[in-house]
Amino acid sequence: MTTPANPVVARVDGLGKAFGTGGNTVTALDAVTLGIRRGQFTAIMGPSGSGKSTLMHIMAGLDSPTSGRVWLGDTEITRLSDTDLTLLRRRRVGFVFQAFNLVPTLDIAGNIVLPFELDGRRPSADEQAWIDGLIDSLGLRERLRHRPHQLSGGQQQRVAIARALAPRPDLVFADEPTGNLDSRTGREVLALLATAARGYGQSIAMVTHDPVAASYADRILFLADGRLVEDRTRSSAEEISSFMLAMERAA
Amino acid sequence: MSRLSVRDHLPSVLVATISSAFGVALLGVTGVIGTAAEEDDATGSSGTVGLMLQIVAAVFIVIAMYVAAIVTANTFATIIAGRTRTIALLRLLGSSASAQRRAVAREGLLVGLAGAALGLLLGAGATFLLTRIGIALGALPDLAYPLVDASAGLPVAAVVLTTWLASWVGSRRVLTVTPLQALGSAQERSAADAARPARTVTGLVLVIVGLALVGFGVLVGLVTPFGVFLGLIGGVLSFTGLVAGSTWLMPPALRLVGRLFGQGAAARLAAENALRYPERSSRTAIGLVIGITLITMFGVGIATFERIMREAMAAEPRLYEGTQQMLTATVVVLSVLLGFSALIAAIGMVNNLSLSVLQRTRELGLLRALGFTGAQIRRMILVESAQLTLAALLVGVALGAFYGWAGAQSLFGAFDGSPGVVLPGVPWTLLGVLAIASGALTWIASLAPSRRATRVSPVAALAVD
Ligand SMILES: Nc1ncnc2c1ncn2[C@@H]1O[C@H](COP(=O)(O)OP(=O)(O)OP(=O)(O)O)[C@@H](O)[C@H]1O
Ligand SMILES: [Mg+2]
Repeated sequence: MTTPANPVVARVDGLGKAFGTGGNTVTALDAVTLGIRRGQFTAIMGPSGSGKSTLMHIMAGLDSPTSGRVWLGDTEITRLSDTDLTLLRRRRVGFVFQAFNLVPTLDIAGNIVLPFELDGRRPSADEQAWIDGLIDSLGLRERLRHRPHQLSGGQQQRVAIARALAPRPDLVFADEPTGNLDSRTGREVLALLATAARGYGQSIAMVTHDPVAASYADRILFLADGRLVEDRTRSSAEEISSFMLAMERAA
Repeated sequence: MSRLSVRDHLPSVLVATISSAFGVALLGVTGVIGTAAEEDDATGSSGTVGLMLQIVAAVFIVIAMYVAAIVTANTFATIIAGRTRTIALLRLLGSSASAQRRAVAREGLLVGLAGAALGLLLGAGATFLLTRIGIALGALPDLAYPLVDASAGLPVAAVVLTTWLASWVGSRRVLTVTPLQALGSAQERSAADAARPARTVTGLVLVIVGLALVGFGVLVGLVTPFGVFLGLIGGVLSFTGLVAGSTWLMPPALRLVGRLFGQGAAARLAAENALRYPERSSRTAIGLVIGITLITMFGVGIATFERIMREAMAAEPRLYEGTQQMLTATVVVLSVLLGFSALIAAIGMVNNLSLSVLQRTRELGLLRALGFTGAQIRRMILVESAQLTLAALLVGVALGAFYGWAGAQSLFGAFDGSPGVVLPGVPWTLLGVLAIASGALTWIASLAPSRRATRVSPVAALAVD
């Protein structure tokens, strides 16, 4: 499944995750093995409760697995200490969440360069040029001195994307990034993510419910009951919907 | 809202308990001293001594209660901010804003009653203990002193009333909660704390008139020591003005101090957090400022007096024997009495920092997800805490030094018969104690919030509630 042109940027092997103890354990993930390819826009789909968010949290080093191993690039993150995981997130991972992405006390410019500041440095000239390009292409130039609450949901989401792309991380994780947006704004955000992958080779893993959102991706992974059940290349929204319906019927 | 959340109110109960206990004990002890003085009344002036003592005690009790009221109002405002979502939901379901506010005030009344009753017990106990110790040391005659004076009812009632009132004032924000806030996944707004021009103007007028009187007192003091009375009135007026206008006095001080901690991510966020709710931070800091100003003022005043005495003593040593010990004792007693107000303010500051961290769980999770290490989170909270105490310390010491000098100048300006400038004495020991206490407060206040904040899992930020 790995081609030389697209080596994997992150992978999990025999990943299991159970919540709770004793009689009422919930198995969120059950022996999942998969790889996210470098430079691709990958969508992770599945019904509610199928383990999508849990998978993303573990791959991003936000949560620890019950069993199995997780790599980001060549680093096995399963055994890293909390501090090493934090540094890894800071330098090699970007995030776009469904809501509450931005630090309310910082202005837009401050939010975008936050990953650099956390590292105690300023963006280099080269990085600054990249950030300026992002700000312009996301239409945020006029908003740099505003606070997050002065922006619409779609604008806030674009700021989150700028922040996630700014340090050029190995992998950007997005959990339902369009979940709180209307369909037109949502499509704009998706187009931005797709451009980042195709134009700049940014690897992106996006969790979504929405077949239209998934149709922007290069590859779609389906989870059901904590297992990987399907792995397909770029598909139309109709194809994705009908597959999901078939999956539901089978269940 | 009807459910009384006891944990929310523990700090307020503690504040009410301390101020009630302080009032009861102070009146009790002065009562005992008055009775003892009456017993060996040689001069026939014991009635006056007792009355004087009670007036002095009343001043300190009023200061402590004033600080307690500020702290309680602030605590209630912070609690309300944390409950905004719940209040909005109840509003959405048809509850009226005033009914909501009355419910909060009822909680305030209960807090006041509980604290006042506990304080009465503790205060009476402390009076009894102190009296026994006094008798054992031979400082007091062995008489049957009353355990509690009828006058103890005053501070107890005052605590109930001020706590109730403070909860009413602090719950003003309930009125601004709209039902819509229950629906919005809207990000927290940096609450544009309602500007209250009327209060600002009143504060400004008080400051100007007060400072003019202080200046006039200094001038009059060049001729007669009675200048100090003008100065006293001016001091009370101008300081009241500054406290009323704390929302324009403290934010610049906080901002200035915030810059001292550098430009790192943790320090910058801390600086922003300290000013996130300017009104809240100002009130948190102003409680400390009141305590520090008064302690510094007496310290500087008495240090100045000491120096003048020393100079006079060099000329006539016999005349001033024993003054040194008396002055030191006065500084210690005044500092302890004012220390209670400072303690109440410190509780307010610890509680405010804890609550504000508690209300930021989501944001802390986000920062952790983005790569803030536990150590950076801890540093951020420590800097936030340091910013509040340091700003209060700087403002308090500056104000205290000014008032202390002005007092000394208007009292001793004509000391050696001719008008002269009195240089302020510097109470080094006292300033050292204040600095150490502020450092300790900074550290203590950050302990619990840091522990809680570093335990926040980054997953909390991703969850949509
Ligand atoms: N902290 C937790 N404690 C207990 N159970 C949990 C926890 N987090 C997730 N689960 C359970 O694990 C399973 C997978 O949850 P997960 O959040 O990964 O689903 P999801 O695919 O993201 O669903 P959705 O589309 O609704 O967001 C669910 O059954 C959920 O109840
Ligand atoms: Mg999910």
